[in-house]
Amino acid sequence: MKITICIGSSCHLKGSRQVVEKLQELVKKNNLTDKIDLAAAFCMGNCQNGVCVTMNEKMYSLSPETTEDFFNNDVLPSLVAPF
Amino acid sequence: MNNLCTDIGYNSLFKHDEELCGDKVAVLNNEDSSLVVLADGMGSGVKANILSTLTSKIISTMLSQGMKLEDCVETVAATLPVCSVRKAAYSTFTIIRISDGENAEFFQYDNPDIIMLRNGENLDYPKELLEIGGKNIYRTKIKVCEGDIIIAMSDGVPHAGIGMSMNFGWSRENIIEFMTGFAHVGFTAKTLTTILLDECYGLYGGEPGDDATVCTIKIRSRVPMNLVIGPPSNRDDCSKMMSLFFSKQGKHIVCGGTTSSIAADYLGKKVVTSLDFPDPDIPPISHIDGVDLVTEGVITFSKVLKYAEDYLADNESYKNWITKKDGASLISQLLFEEATDINFFVGRAVNPAHQNPNLPINFNIKMRLVDNLSECLKNMGKRIKVIYF
Repeated sequence: MKITICIGSSCHLKGSRQVVEKLQELVKKNNLTDKIDLAAAFCMGNCQNGVCVTMNEKMYSLSPETTEDFFNNDVLPSLVAPF
Repeated sequence: MNNLCTDIGYNSLFKHDEELCGDKVAVLNNEDSSLVVLADGMGSGVKANILSTLTSKIISTMLSQGMKLEDCVETVAATLPVCSVRKAAYSTFTIIRISDGENAEFFQYDNPDIIMLRNGENLDYPKELLEIGGKNIYRTKIKVCEGDIIIAMSDGVPHAGIGMSMNFGWSRENIIEFMTGFAHVGFTAKTLTTILLDECYGLYGGEPGDDATVCTIKIRSRVPMNLVIGPPSNRDDCSKMMSLFFSKQGKHIVCGGTTSSIAADYLGKKVVTSLDFPDPDIPPISHIDGVDLVTEGVITFSKVLKYAEDYLADNESYKNWITKKDGASLISQLLFEEATDINFFVGRAVNPAHQNPNLPINFNIKMRLVDNLSECLKNMGKRIKVIYF
């Protein structure tokens, strides 16, 4: 599964690096490096709601503080029940 | 006229506790020649500053107007105010003139001898003694080649460390040995100057006993470079902008997320992003086949401007960008070190996402960044063209 994080100007200022680092850390901690592919992308056209993150073609709006919740509530469940 | 040009960089260390420098460098760049005058006024502080400023200004202005050196020296001797303590008016000088990218001429009066490096090794150039206005002046005429490094200095440089880290300072041979170590690396004239002055500062134990000035000239070939930032204000102009950009000779740098998508579309390639943060403050770079460097826009650009301003001032932060791999450092290496002629393609589209009062990156800031950076690059001696879309 691929998770794409926006690294454009706007999202960068809103903390996309911290989001990336947090996700990298969580993926490693849960031994999911072969299941989850983290990637970067430029502007997703939704800067007002950055940091923009896409997973399974759905767009999420994260901040460094909400990244762990996103991982637990959205990422992990979609791994258990793939569609 | 060949494809060679001069890269000139100079800087000074002030004598400890002095607010003014007694050394002065004047640079005059014309279409087909460069003229450098390094003058060292007697004494230190205000008096020395006035002597050296007058000397360098008079000589550079008169020579650039085609006057003979004899007349310049006479004028200087007749004009300089006489020191009430020493009953003399005195300023040493070194003149370097490089014409048509190949003919170099040195005139040296009482400053430490110019050091000339060719292929990374010391070159002993011929010197001819002239007596002008009762002064012994040494003249050299020599052809220059690509890669030649010419270093002029005031006596504060070889005197560094006298009575402190060394008994008699470091000799000309020591300085040559020190600088040959950096000759092959490809540093700019300004950076070579900074490296040498940093060493002097260290030898002086952080308290220079005299003003120390270095002026480095590097003979190099012209290198064109192109940078595009921002989408065009009219969407229909995308392919026009990109075709002009990619038709230019030299390396191509693309800045900005949307801009890189436009460039990738034009080339029929994909933007390959990465998640590496060599500098935590700068968004990661990307790759597009056929483009030499792809970076984020405004944040990266602001950092490049900071580096450029510092480069022109005391050049303290060159150690930060010279080897690093983040977007801002890579742009700095290409623009400051490699390029001599830079074309900026600036798109004036307003990014709606950036017009948020909470973000420090609105449209005006972007335009000002480009203006300020091109001004800085001009001051580095580069030829700049800016085209707006």
